[in-house]
Amino acid sequence: MSYSTFNRKKFDSLQEPMFFGENVNVARYDQQKHPIFEKLIEKQLSFFWRPEEVDLSNDRKDFLKLEDHEQHIFLSNLKYQTLLDSVQGRSPNVALLPIVSLPELETWIETWSFSETIHSRSYTHIIRNIVNDPTKVFDDIVVNDEIAKRAISVSKYYDDLIELVSLYNTLGLGVHHVPERGEVVVSMKTLKKALYLTVASVNVLEAIRFYVSFACSFAFAERTLMEGNAKIIKLIARDEALHLNGTQHMLNLMMSGRDDPEMAEIAQECQQDVINIFVEAAQQEREWAQYLFKDGSMIGLNAQILGQYVEYITNIRMQAIGLEPQFATKNNPIPWINAWLVSDNVQVAPQEAEISSYLVGQIDNDLDGADFDDFDL
Amino acid sequence: MTTLISNTEHQDQTVHRVLLGKKQILVTEDEPLLPQLERAGVLAEYQCREGYCSACMIKLLWGKVSYPVEPMAWVHSGYMLSCCAIVKSDIEISML
Ligand code: FES
Ligand SMILES: [Fe+2]
Ligand SMILES: [Fe+2]
Repeated sequence: MSYSTFNRKKFDSLQEPMFFGENVNVARYDQQKHPIFEKLIEKQLSFFWRPEEVDLSNDRKDFLKLEDHEQHIFLSNLKYQTLLDSVQGRSPNVALLPIVSLPELETWIETWSFSETIHSRSYTHIIRNIVNDPTKVFDDIVVNDEIAKRAISVSKYYDDLIELVSLYNTLGLGVHHVPERGEVVVSMKTLKKALYLTVASVNVLEAIRFYVSFACSFAFAERTLMEGNAKIIKLIARDEALHLNGTQHMLNLMMSGRDDPEMAEIAQECQQDVINIFVEAAQQEREWAQYLFKDGSMIGLNAQILGQYVEYITNIRMQAIGLEPQFATKNNPIPWINAWLVSDNVQVAPQEAEISSYLVGQIDNDLDGADFDDFDL
Repeated sequence: MTTLISNTEHQDQTVHRVLLGKKQILVTEDEPLLPQLERAGVLAEYQCREGYCSACMIKLLWGKVSYPVEPMAWVHSGYMLSCCAIVKSDIEISML
C-alpha cells in the first residue's frame, strides 16, 4: 500500500484510527475525531517565540568565569539537548506522517516538529554567543562516545518504525527479504507494535530525558549564572510540556482501545516492553549524570541528586500513562526546578482569549480523561 | 465534614477537608487545590498550572472534585489535576 499525498477515496475521517487507516486527504479542522490534537495545535501556535528575542550577552561573561568542570557540565548538557532536538525536529514528520490518518493529528505532528526546529535554532543562538568556534561544539556531538550512546537509544525505535513502514509502502504486507537484515515480517501487528514502542520512547525522550537536561540548565540559573540560557530553556520547557501531553494522549488513546481496538491488544502485549523502555532510559540518564559530573559537581546539583530526580520524574511520567511507578524516590529532590519550569511568562493562551468556547460547565471527576474527547465544544 | 463558614467579607464559604496521609488541610471552593496545598506548606509537583502538562496529577482516593474548564491533560480515573480541580466535598488524596 503506497502513500498518496491526496487520497482520492471518499471516507469519513471521524471513523479512522489515528494511524494505519486511510491516508489523509482534505486538511479540515472543523470536526475532529480527537479534539485534543486541535487544542494542542492552537496552544502551540500561541506559544510561538524566537530565540533571538533573548539577550545572551551576560551569558558569555558568565561562561568565561565558570570553572573547567562547570563548563564541561554546561556544554555537555547543551550538546545533549542539541542531539535530542535534532532528532525531534525531523523524526515525528518522517516516521509518523506517512501513517497518520486524522487531519488534526497530522497537523499536530507537523506543528510539534516545527517547534522543535525553533529549539534547535536556539542552541545555535546560545552556542554562537558563548564560544568562539561553534563547530568544535557541534562536531563533538557526532564523535563523542557518551553522546553517541544517547543517540542510539533515542533514534532506535524511530528508525525501526521508519524501516518497517517503508517496506510496507513499497512491498506491502508479507515476509520480505531485506539485504543485510534477513527476513522481515511486515504485518499490521508488527507495524502497530513498532509504532506503539516508538511513541513510548518519544514520550521518554521528551518527558524524562529533556527534563533531566532542564535541571542542569536551571541549576546554573539558581546561582544567577547563564540566565539568558535559562530563559530560553524555560520557553523550550513550556513547549515540551505540550509535546508530552501529545504523546501521553496517543498512548492513553491506544491503550484504551477507543481509537483502534487492535492497538489496545498490542498495548497490553507490549506493557512490559514499555516499562523496560522507561526503566532503561532512567538507567541511561543516571549514567549520563555520572559523565556530566565526572570532574566535579556544582553547588546544588551532583550526580546523586540528579539521579534521584531521574527516578522521581520517571515515576511521574509512568503514572501519567497508567503504569506503576518503578522507583523508590517519591519526592522531588530539586523542588526549586518547578519555579523555573512554570510558564509564568506565557502570552495569552487560547483558553483566556476565547474563554466562552472552553467553558463546558463542570466536569465530574468520575469521567475518565478518555471521556473528554467526546465533548462537543 | 464539609462545613459552611460565615465570613463577614465574603459570602458564605464552603470549607472541605483534604486528607493527605496524616495531614488534614481545610480548603475552599474559591480556587483550585494546588495553591491551597502550597499555602498549607505541602510540597506539590506542578509545571504549567493550567491543566495541560499533567505534572500535578495526584491520586484522588475518595471524594469529589470538578473542573470549571476542561483540562487538556488526560485525567485517569482515580486521579486528579491539583492545579485546576476545585474540591467539591471532603476528599482524601495521596502523592506518588
Ligand atoms: S500543573 Fe500542569 S496540569 Fe497541573
Ligand atoms: Fe524540543
Ligand atoms: Fe519536544
